Amino acid sequence: MKKFITRVRSALSGLLVPAISIVLTLIVASAILLLLGKNPVEVFLGFLRGSGMVLKPRYAGGQGILTDFFSYFSILTPMIFASLGVMLGLRAGLFNIGVAGQMLFPGFLASVLVGYSNLPSYLAWPLIILIGLVAGGAMGSLIGFLKHRFNIHEVVTSIMLNYIVSYVTAFFINTYFVDPVTRNSRTIKETSRLLISGKADGVRFDFPVGLIVALLAVFVIRFILDRTTVGFRINAVGLNKYCARYAGINVGGNIVLAMAMSGALAGLAGVTYYLGFANNMVPKDLVSLGYDSIAVAVLGNIAPVGTLFASILVTIFQKGSIYMSSNVGVPKDIASVIIGILLMFSASGLYIEDKLQHLGRTVRPKRDSKTDKDKAEEEQL
Amino acid sequence: MTETIVELKNITKRFPGIVANDDVTLDIRKGEIFALLGENGAGKSTLMSILFGMYEPDEGQIFVRGEKVRLTSSKDAAALSIGMVHQHFKLVSNYTITENIVLGDEPLKRLGPLSWVDLKGASEKIRSLSLEYGLEVNPDDKIEDLPVSTQQRVEILKMLYRDAEILIFDEPTSVLTPQEIEYLLEIMEELRRGGKTIILISHKLEEIKQVADRCAILLHGKLVGVYDVATTTTQRMANLMVGKELDFSIDKTEHDFGEVVLDVSDLTVYNEQKVKVVDNVSLKVRQGEILAIAGVSGNGQVDIADAIAGLQNISAGSISFKGEDISRLTIKERITKGISYIPEDRQKEGLIMDLTLRDNLAIKTFDREPFSKKGILQPESFEQQAEDLIRRYDIRSGQGGQTLTRSMSGGNQQKAIIAREVELDSDLLIFVQPTRGLDVGAIANIHQQILEQRDLGKAILLVSLELDEVMALADTISVAFRGQILKTDSVHNLSKEEVGQYMMGVTQ
Amino acid sequence: MNIDKIMTDGLSFSLPLFIMAIGGIYSERSGVTMLSIEGFQGFGAFTGAITVVILRTAMGSSPNWLIYVATLASVLGGMLLALLNALMVIKLKSKMTIAGVVVNILAVALTSFLSSVITGAVTGQATNKIQLGVSPRYTIPYLSEIPVIGGLFQNIYPFAFIIIVVALLAWYVLYKTSYGLRLRAGGDNPHSLDAAGVDVNKIRFSAVVLAGGFAGLGGIAFTYMMANFSPSSYVGYGYLAIAALIFGNWNIRTTFWTSMFFGFSRSFSDQLVNELGMSSNYSDLFSVMPYVLTLIVLIFFSKHNRPPRALGEHFDKGKR
Repeated sequence: MKKFITRVRSALSGLLVPAISIVLTLIVASAILLLLGKNPVEVFLGFLRGSGMVLKPRYAGGQGILTDFFSYFSILTPMIFASLGVMLGLRAGLFNIGVAGQMLFPGFLASVLVGYSNLPSYLAWPLIILIGLVAGGAMGSLIGFLKHRFNIHEVVTSIMLNYIVSYVTAFFINTYFVDPVTRNSRTIKETSRLLISGKADGVRFDFPVGLIVALLAVFVIRFILDRTTVGFRINAVGLNKYCARYAGINVGGNIVLAMAMSGALAGLAGVTYYLGFANNMVPKDLVSLGYDSIAVAVLGNIAPVGTLFASILVTIFQKGSIYMSSNVGVPKDIASVIIGILLMFSASGLYIEDKLQHLGRTVRPKRDSKTDKDKAEEEQL
Repeated sequence: MTETIVELKNITKRFPGIVANDDVTLDIRKGEIFALLGENGAGKSTLMSILFGMYEPDEGQIFVRGEKVRLTSSKDAAALSIGMVHQHFKLVSNYTITENIVLGDEPLKRLGPLSWVDLKGASEKIRSLSLEYGLEVNPDDKIEDLPVSTQQRVEILKMLYRDAEILIFDEPTSVLTPQEIEYLLEIMEELRRGGKTIILISHKLEEIKQVADRCAILLHGKLVGVYDVATTTTQRMANLMVGKELDFSIDKTEHDFGEVVLDVSDLTVYNEQKVKVVDNVSLKVRQGEILAIAGVSGNGQVDIADAIAGLQNISAGSISFKGEDISRLTIKERITKGISYIPEDRQKEGLIMDLTLRDNLAIKTFDREPFSKKGILQPESFEQQAEDLIRRYDIRSGQGGQTLTRSMSGGNQQKAIIAREVELDSDLLIFVQPTRGLDVGAIANIHQQILEQRDLGKAILLVSLELDEVMALADTISVAFRGQILKTDSVHNLSKEEVGQYMMGVTQ
Repeated sequence: MNIDKIMTDGLSFSLPLFIMAIGGIYSERSGVTMLSIEGFQGFGAFTGAITVVILRTAMGSSPNWLIYVATLASVLGGMLLALLNALMVIKLKSKMTIAGVVVNILAVALTSFLSSVITGAVTGQATNKIQLGVSPRYTIPYLSEIPVIGGLFQNIYPFAFIIIVVALLAWYVLYKTSYGLRLRAGGDNPHSLDAAGVDVNKIRFSAVVLAGGFAGLGGIAFTYMMANFSPSSYVGYGYLAIAALIFGNWNIRTTFWTSMFFGFSRSFSDQLVNELGMSSNYSDLFSVMPYVLTLIVLIFFSKHNRPPRALGEHFDKGKR
C-alpha cells in the first residue's frame, strides 16, 4: 500500500511541471491574442473544432466531425512516432535533432518504391512500414556510428544529413517525380496510403492504420526502457556514460543501437506522414513536425506515455490552426508560436521544479530523516 | 603586543536540515599561524567560506582589523586582503601561470580608447614575487603541464599578487608528498616572517603541531575550544577532535600469502593526449595480500588500476589474472572473470547518481540471473538484493532501495559501491582512494572491510594518496613516480620517510 | 571557368558565415553550448527587414542609408533573441542544447507570425515575404585587376567591410582584453573565475548576447544577398557556422580559414553546374557539397578537437 502511494505521488509530481507549463503557455498565448484584439476562447475553440474535438457550426457535404477527428489522427500518428524517436535518443543522452531528415528519406524511398506502384494494400502497407523502419534506422545508426567512432556530435551530423537528404531528394523529385502543376512530387496511389476509408451516417472518414502501430510502439518502448536489459543499458549510458563503461556496458554499441531505434521511429513517422497524411513531397522541404517533436518529447517528461499525451495536445494546435485561422482571422503561425512558448516553459522545468520545492520547503520545513552528520558530510563533498 | 586581525562573533550558518556552524566565536591574531582542526563535516570549510565571502552567515558578526564587515562575495574578501587556497585548485588549465594569476585583477595598458592586458609586466612581477618567497615557478608555463605541487604554488602566488595579508589554506597538504609538505610548511613560516596571517584548515595533527601557534577545534559545527599548540599533545587534540577516545591501531594479523592472482609485467600505457602515463610497470599481487601503490597524485597509479580493469588501453606489456592473459579482454569479461574495482571518483564513475540505490547495486549484474531472465528484468530480485546489502553493509538511505543515490551522503555512497564490489565475490579487488573525503567513522569501517577481504584470501590492489593509510593497510608497498614503479618491498622493510623519498623520485 | 565569380561569391558567402561563427565562439568559449545561431541570424534579419518596411512606408521613399539602419536593427534583433536564450540557459537553467532548439523554433514561428501581423498593419497587405532594396556593391580599383584573386575585390557588399572591422575587433577583445581573458576562463574552469571575484553568469550572459549581435550582422548580410526576407530564409547557415567553428577548433583565426573553405567550395560547385551547362535541377545535387565536405572533414578532425572543458555545464556557485 505504501509503495502504491509513493508511486502515485511520484507519478503526480511528474505531471505537475508539464501541467504548470501548459497553464503558463495558455496565459501567455491569451495575452498575445488579447493584444491583437482577438478573443482567446474563440481561438482555442477554433483549434479544437479544426481537430474534430468540438462540433463546427457547419460542414461541407459528406463531411462531419468524424472526418476532422480521423484526419487529426492521421497527423497525430507521425507526431507520436517522431516524438518517441526523440525521446528514445534523449534517454541515451543523444539529441536527435535530425528527425525531419530521417522522416524525409524513408518517406521518399517508400513513395518512390511503393507509392507509385500498383501493389495491393495488403502488400504495400507492410512493405512501407518495413522501408520506414530500415531506412530510418540506417540513418540513425550512421549518426550513432559517427559519434561513437569519430567523436562527431550527433547534432552536427543530423543537421548535415538533413540538408544532404533534402537536396538529394529534391533533385530526384524535380527530375523524375515532379507534378508539373503543383511543382511537388506526384501524389501517391490510393492503395499505398496507410488509410482505411469508411463511411458512417453519410460522413466520410479515413482511419490511419499507423495509429495502431504508434500506440503499440508507445507501450513496446515503455516495456523496453523499464523492464528489459536493453533499456537498462540505454538508461545507464544516457545518465552517466562513464559509470556505464566502468560497469562493463558497451557504451558505443548502445549509442549506435539507441540512435538506430530513434531513427527507425523517425522513419515510421516519415512513412505515416508522407504516405497517409501529405501523400506527396515538397522539394527541399523538411517538415516542422520533425522539430516540434523535440518539444513534445521534452513536454512529455522524456517518457513514452508522457510523450503520447504531449503529442495529443500539441497536434491539436497544429491540426486546428488552419480552420482557426480562416474562421477567427489570426495568422495560422500563432500555432507555432504557442508551441514555441510551450517548449520554452517545459525546457525550464528544472527551474519550475526548484521554485516548487522552495515553496514546498517553506510549508514543510523538514522532510528528511537523514542524520545531521550525513548532511554535514554532504555539504563537504 | 599582538593585535587581533579577524574576529568571528557568534557565527551560525544553517543549511537545509543541518547547522554547519553553531555559534562559533574566534579571534585570530595578526602574524600567527592559526589552525582549524576537525573531522570532515565538522564545519571548518564552511566557516572559512564565510570569512572568504562565499556564504553569508545566518547569525553573527565578522570584524576585520577591528571594523565590522559584511562579505557577500570573494571580491569583498579580496578588498580586505583576504586570500584563500581552495582544496580543489581554481585554475584555468589552458592558461599560463601569469594568465591565471592576473585573472580578475588584470593590469591594463592603454592606447587611446583601446586597452589590453599587460601580461609582460605581470609576468615580471610574478617572477620577483616567486623569488622573494622561494616559490619557484616559470610564469609562462601552462597549468595543464604542471604537477600538483607547482599548481599549489600558483594558488599561493595568486594571493600574494593581490597583496593578501590574511591567507587561508584549505587542507593544503592532502595532495602532497611528505617532502613537499615540509617545503610548504617552510613557506608558511616564511610568509609568517613576512608579516602575513595564516589560517590553516587541516585534520592532520602533526603538521599543525609543527607550524601552528594556536589551534581551534570544531566538532559537529560547534567550537570545542582554542588551544595553544605548544602545550597541547597531539593525542589530546585528536581526542577533542572526535569527541571520544580514539583508537589508532588497526588489527592486522600476519599470514602467508597464497598463489599469484594478478601478474602485471612491463605494462606501458599512453593516455588520450598520447602522453606516456605508465612506463614499464611490473607488479604481482597474491592471495591474501594487500599491495598498495603509494605516490603523489598523477604519477600513473590510477592509470595502472584502469588498465587492469580494462578502462584504459595498454600499448605494451601484459596483464595476467590467475595465469591467464586478460589484457585483450573487454571490461565486461574482466568483471566476469573476477575483478572488482572501487574507482577513484565515486560520483562520476562508481555510481549513476540519478538512478536508485537498488539499480546501482545491480549495475554490474543486471544481465545475470536472477536479476534478469531472457533479457527481462526481475525487479523483485533487485529489491531483495538491495534490502540484503543495505542491512549487511549498514548503508543508510531514506527510502531503502528506492532512494535516489544523489540524495545519499558520500560515506553511504561509498559503502554502496564497496557492498556491490565485494558481493561480486571476485578474486581481485582494486581500491582506488577508497576513503577520500570521508569522516573518521566511515574510514575505519572501510579499512575494516578491506582487511576482512584480505583475510578471506582475496588479492587486493590499493591505490592511495594518504601515506598513513598505505602504511597501515599494506603488506607490500610499490611506489609510483612519473609512471614508473621505483621501489617495491614489504611494509616491514620500509619507513614512512623512505616511501616519501621514493614518491619524490629519489632513488638513493 | 569564371574564376572572378568564384572569388566574389565565395567571399560574400564566407564573411557572414565567419562573423556568425565568431558569435558561436564567443558563446562556447564562455561555456554556453550554442545551437541557436540560426535563430539569431533569422530573427535579426527579420528585425532589419521589418524596420526597412516600416521606415520605407513612413517616409514614402527608400534612401540608400536604409541599409545601415537595417544592419543596426538586425544586430539589435539578434541580441534581443539572444537575451531570451541567455535567460533560459543562465537564469532558468534549461539544458543548453534544448534551449537552442527552442530558440530556433521560436525564431521561425515569431518571424512568420510577426511578419504577417506587422506587414498587415503597416502596408495593409499581410505577407511573410519582405522585399528589400538592392544593396550597393563596390569594386576596388587596381586590386580587382590582379589575376586569379582579383575577384575578391570586385562587387563587394558594404557588409564585407563592416564584417572585417567587427571581426578584427572581436578577435582583439577575445584574446587581448581583460574581458576576453575572463570569457575564455568561463569555458575552461568557471570556478577559477568565480574565485577571482568575477561573476561567471554575467560573463556568460554577455557572451551569448554578443553572439546574437554577431549572428544578426551575418543575417542581414545574407538577406541582402537574397534581396528579400521570408521564413524560408532559414536555410541552415547558422548550423553551418557551428560546423565551421568546431572544424576551426573554437579559435577565431582557424575558423576564418574554415569559413573561407565553406564559402569557396560552395561558389566553386555553383560555378561548376553553370560551366557544365547542366539543368538547374543539378544545382540541388551540387548544393550538398559543403555539407558532405563538412562531414568528411569532421571525420578526420573531430578526434583532435578540444572543445572548451566546461562547455555545456551550468555554473552553480554552491557546487564545487
